[in-house]
Amino acid sequence: MGIISIENTDKLFWLGRYTERVYSTIKIFENRFDSIIDMDEYEYSEFCKRQDIPNIYSSREDFSQKYCFSLDDENSIFSNLMRAYDNAIVLREEIGSDTLSYIQLAVYAMKKATISKAPLIGLQKVTDNIAAFWGLADDAIDESQIRNIIKVGKIVERIDLYARMKEEPEKLRREAKRLLNRIDKSGMRYNHKMLAHVNYLVQLDELPYGSLIESIENLVGDE
Amino acid sequence: MITYMDIFNREKNVEDLEVYTGVGDVNEQLARYGVKFGIYKNNEFKEQLFPFDMIPRVIDGEEFRYLEKGLKQRVKALNLFIDDIYGEKHIIKDKVIPEEFIYAGSGYLSQCEGIKPPKGVYSHISGIDLVQSKDGIWYVLEDNLRIPSGASYPMIARGISRRSAPNLFAGKHIEDNRNYAQLLRKTMDHVNIGGHTVILSPGRYNAAYFEHSYLAEKTGAHLVTGKELIVENDKLYFIDYSGRKERVGAVYRRISDEYLDPMNFNKESVIGIPHIFDIYRKGNVALINAPGNGVADDKGIYYFVPKMIKYYLGEEAVLNNAPTFLPYYEKDMKYVMDNFDDLVIKDVAEAGGYGVVFGNKLSSEEKVRFKEMLKNEPRRFIAQNVIDFIDIDIMDNGKLLPRKADLRAFVLMAEEPMVWKSGLTRFSRNPDSFIVNSSQGGGFKDTWVLSQ
Repeated sequence: MGIISIENTDKLFWLGRYTERVYSTIKIFENRFDSIIDMDEYEYSEFCKRQDIPNIYSSREDFSQKYCFSLDDENSIFSNLMRAYDNAIVLREEIGSDTLSYIQLAVYAMKKATISKAPLIGLQKVTDNIAAFWGLADDAIDESQIRNIIKVGKIVERIDLYARMKEEPEKLRREAKRLLNRIDKSGMRYNHKMLAHVNYLVQLDELPYGSLIESIENLVGDE
Repeated sequence: MITYMDIFNREKNVEDLEVYTGVGDVNEQLARYGVKFGIYKNNEFKEQLFPFDMIPRVIDGEEFRYLEKGLKQRVKALNLFIDDIYGEKHIIKDKVIPEEFIYAGSGYLSQCEGIKPPKGVYSHISGIDLVQSKDGIWYVLEDNLRIPSGASYPMIARGISRRSAPNLFAGKHIEDNRNYAQLLRKTMDHVNIGGHTVILSPGRYNAAYFEHSYLAEKTGAHLVTGKELIVENDKLYFIDYSGRKERVGAVYRRISDEYLDPMNFNKESVIGIPHIFDIYRKGNVALINAPGNGVADDKGIYYFVPKMIKYYLGEEAVLNNAPTFLPYYEKDMKYVMDNFDDLVIKDVAEAGGYGVVFGNKLSSEEKVRFKEMLKNEPRRFIAQNVIDFIDIDIMDNGKLLPRKADLRAFVLMAEEPMVWKSGLTRFSRNPDSFIVNSSQGGGFKDTWVLSQ
């Protein structure tokens, strides 16, 4: 097994989280925005509330433009993609140039979408490249620990997002089970009691989404 | 002198060039792999793509063997010089080089006095900048013995070019330059005193970060920042994610001497490793390249390289220096004053194409001021005849345009010096400019060395 520093362990974890955040928020956004078109002009405020982001937008159009493409909006999809890039760019040695290139391509696709006349359709290429990144990460990275850290990041982010969007309990139970199977293989330090608590919470009939978000956010790190 | 036209025509494929430069979008591929360099403008870090032109510089086998011989000789002498300066100082005692040229230069580090690096290698990776004049003569313009960069660019470009136009490479007997990583690994392993080999980078906001990370990937060395290394009990360790300490035996450091160790050099450095220099002094880690090498690649010392080749090796220099004058010497000062318009004046403390002044480009007032400065600080400048070096065509929007181009050759030192059979050819994008540095907007080409 190669040597991985704490710093790079952290970066791999966040690379997993941010790629998942970008991928899933594009999907969620597309889904919700499709409904918003036929609903009240300010319906997007509910989306902001669930995502726990400030509603700084002045209209539906302003929301779709800034939330997707503005680098001045720290909660935008583009800002999150750049965070994924910032983590990936220092991990070339761990993940390899070919795998890294898909994050680079996702950034180019996002830049292209930003100046496109039909920007939202351009997001498809962003998700395509992230999916390719995950696929290649799984296939081309020899070190299983590296693959597992990225995957743990993805799952943690997914649980967090699903809880924020108050998704079906079954979806959360499935992700919690995957986390349980994966986290010890990553070699990461995590809070064992918190993991047990996450598993307890997802089994409840009335899912306490707020507590779940808090618990999953405090999972990784020293006990 | 062979050019790319000979290569493409020799195969009787006159359309080769059009096909070669038209296929695939190599720059798009380079962008995909993040082949960039960083620059700071108005205190803001920006990443720029390093423009690549597909038309290669071509050097035939015989010509390269000549360059190889000269480059090995030069680097051997420079290593002996550094060893001598931080040791017995025979070359000063024998009055071959005036001592003020050693001690007044910013590259000399008194902290390095008496230190013998592992296996006696100082300049593990040397980047020697050359130009070829229109009559075919090669001139060395500069020796870079501190942290020469640039090998990764032609290395990655070659792979992509070959994928873009595989048939055009067939049968052309071009030396494969993608072995740079193996040469570098061999160089690092040669001096490793036991333990891991790491590439120490200041981090992603360094101009050459792409190169640091790419070389780490290709050599299998670990890319680290100063925060991940620690000196304990006179040894260097890498701290892994679980807190375990792994011994490090060689550090290919891509940070300058000044920032390497806050306990021994710049106290403000936050990217260095406290006490790494102390354990290097004790022989407990190899530093690649050795600290203090700046004493030998100072532009003022450049003038003396042919003399040091003669002094240490008893040989005449194979490669020419550009005709150079040191205003420090009275005779040279007079020549510089009398022939100011025909000369290029270089500030010895500057690099990257900065501090370079062409005499004929200055206004009358500027000339007066500059000459005054020369008289007051003669040690600070060298003057050189302007070499009208060759242009190599670039393809710009389907048009062939001639541009000035230099060559950075790389010499790696293991048991013996090894010359990489390629090099970084940099070209000026401005038709009127001789400045080819990437920091000043230049682009790069691959360098094809023919095996025959």
